[in-house]
Formats: sequence, structure tokens, C-alpha cells
Amino acid sequence: MPEWFNILLRSAGLFFLTLLLVRIMGKKQSTRLTFFDLVSVIVIGVTTAAISLNIVKNLAGGIIALAVWTLFPAAIYLLAIKYKSVRDIVQGKETVLINHGKILEDKLLEARMTPEDLLGQLRKKNVFAFADVEFAVLEPSGEVSVFLKKDRQPATAKTLNINVGSESVPQTVMLDGIVMDEPLAAMGLNRQWLHTELEKAGVAPENVFIAQVDSAGQLYLDLFDDAIQTPRPKTKELVWATLKKCQADCELYALGTNRPEAKKMYQRSSGILSEVVKETEPLLTK
Amino acid sequence: MTVGTQVKQTLSSLKSARWTLQNFASIEENREAKDIFSRNAQLISDVIQDLENRVGQLEFEEPQYKGF
Repeated sequence: MPEWFNILLRSAGLFFLTLLLVRIMGKKQSTRLTFFDLVSVIVIGVTTAAISLNIVKNLAGGIIALAVWTLFPAAIYLLAIKYKSVRDIVQGKETVLINHGKILEDKLLEARMTPEDLLGQLRKKNVFAFADVEFAVLEPSGEVSVFLKKDRQPATAKTLNINVGSESVPQTVMLDGIVMDEPLAAMGLNRQWLHTELEKAGVAPENVFIAQVDSAGQLYLDLFDDAIQTPRPKTKELVWATLKKCQADCELYALGTNRPEAKKMYQRSSGILSEVVKETEPLLTK
Repeated sequence: MTVGTQVKQTLSSLKSARWTLQNFASIEENREAKDIFSRNAQLISDVIQDLENRVGQLEFEEPQYKGF
């Protein structure tokens, strides 16, 4: 058969074969990706290209080489998962570079890193002052993982002593105009609920690009037409404002009435409502 | 606007707020948030009960303003 046809067949065949082989190799944890993994990936690439271009005439030989370079690393990886000793040999261990704020120079030498390398890697993690670092470790992949000193870590709600209430993950229920039934079911909702909510928002389902539902059932929409502005759902804030208003009303009624039992009842109601307002504040407002 | 009407308005707002909280409580999967919502919905129910009693008393005193 003509040369170009040969190349076309080889390239197409190898394309799908490599795709299949790569899926068999599976996902690798990038922190454990060593230099050798990089080498094997390059070899696979070059071998595939050589076979496709008919540089390597012997097709069977080429495919055998490809099989070795994909299946052997996969096999070693499987062995490494089962046995820690294999892991240590093949993947190496992490090296501690900074401990208790002190840089361990002999470990740096062991890792063949210059101080400039270390500072460069720290800067990649947005750390410009090595004095901020409490602990730093060099992963087998060459990346440095940094643990900052407590007072240099970004503020969290806990450190600031702010109660922000707990919330679960929001679910994406519509993507590209298509309704995703699985996330809806995960929240215990169904298409009917979604259609009702879209009607409430006055939006047709065909116009929605992305729709997400937060853990309390609030729907957030993005439409295909970027000119239309959908109002952000404010149900939570509205409920909170309503509760505050009712609490204030009760205080007003307490002042307005002459009957002592009614006055006491209104004051008690006002007290209960202000407690409710305070307790639901982190969930409804923040 | 009589006091009766005002209290009825507050009552309606409270009922709608309670319904919204119960709605959140039923959809929310997170344990803590669910408990907070349902507990507060219950507290609001108590207040609604008190206010309804009061509305009953007001209507008794001024029967011409009975009903919605």
C-alpha cells in the first residue's frame, strides 16, 4: 500500500492505542511524580511518534517497546502501592528542609539545592520572607511544601472568633442548558422543584447557562444572554429582615398596650424573636 | 389602621418567615444548620401562637374588625 496510507493507518491506530494505554496507567498523584516518570512519558511520546512516521519500520517491535514503557511503570506503581519498601526505592522520600524556622543546610546539600533554589521555591508559594516559615519539606516531585508560622497564616473565621454558621457544598444543577439530575437527587430535589424555582425567577430553562443550588436551596443563575441582569436571590436576607421587623413590632405593641398581660406577652415575644434573630444571623447573613 | 390590623400584619410576616425557615430546614443536609433552622422555626411557632391568641382577644373587644 502507498506510503502515506501506511502512515495514516499507523498514526490513527497508535493514537487510540496510546489513549487506551494512558487510561490504563491511570491518574498519578503529582506529588509523587518523579523525574523517572517524566522520562518514561517522554519515551512513550517519542516511540509513538517514531512508529507513526514509519521511522521504525518494524511495527510489531515498535508496539512491543510501547507496551513495555507503559505497562512496566504501571506495574511498578501497583507494587509501590502495596509495599512501602518499593515506594522508598522507586519514589524516594520527602526531605525536611526547614524545621522550627531553622534552615537545615546539610539537607539542602543532600537535596542538591542552592539557597537561591530554596528561596525561589518559597516564592512560588507566595512566601517572600523565609523567617515566616515554620516548616518546609521537599517532595519527591521537586516541589516544596510550606507550613507558615501561626501568626503569619491568613486569618480564618475561627482565629477572628467570628461565628459564620456551617454550610455544605453547593451543587451544580444545570450546565450548558442541560439539567443534571444526579446533583438534584443528591440534594433531595427534583426537576419539578427546579422548574418551579425558574418560574419564580421568571426565567425559561432554555435561557440558563449555569445554575447552582446552595445547601439551603437557594438557586443562583447565569443566563446565556449576558445583557439580561438576573437579580441575586435575597431570600435569606429578606427572612432575616422580616424577623427583625417583627421583633421591633412586638416591642412597639408592648409600649402601645395598656393591658399588663398583653404587655408581658409582647415583651416575651420580642425577647424570643431577638434570640431567633441572633441565632440565625450567621446562617442567613454571612 | 387599628392595632388589630397591625398585629395581623405582623402575624402574616411571621408565618411567612417560619415557612421559609422550615423550607431551608428541609432542604439543608448539613446537620448543624438544619437543627438551627428547625429549632428557630419552632420558636417562631410559639410566638405565632401567642400573637394569634392576642388577635382573638382584640377581635372579641372590637367585633366590627373581625376577620381579614
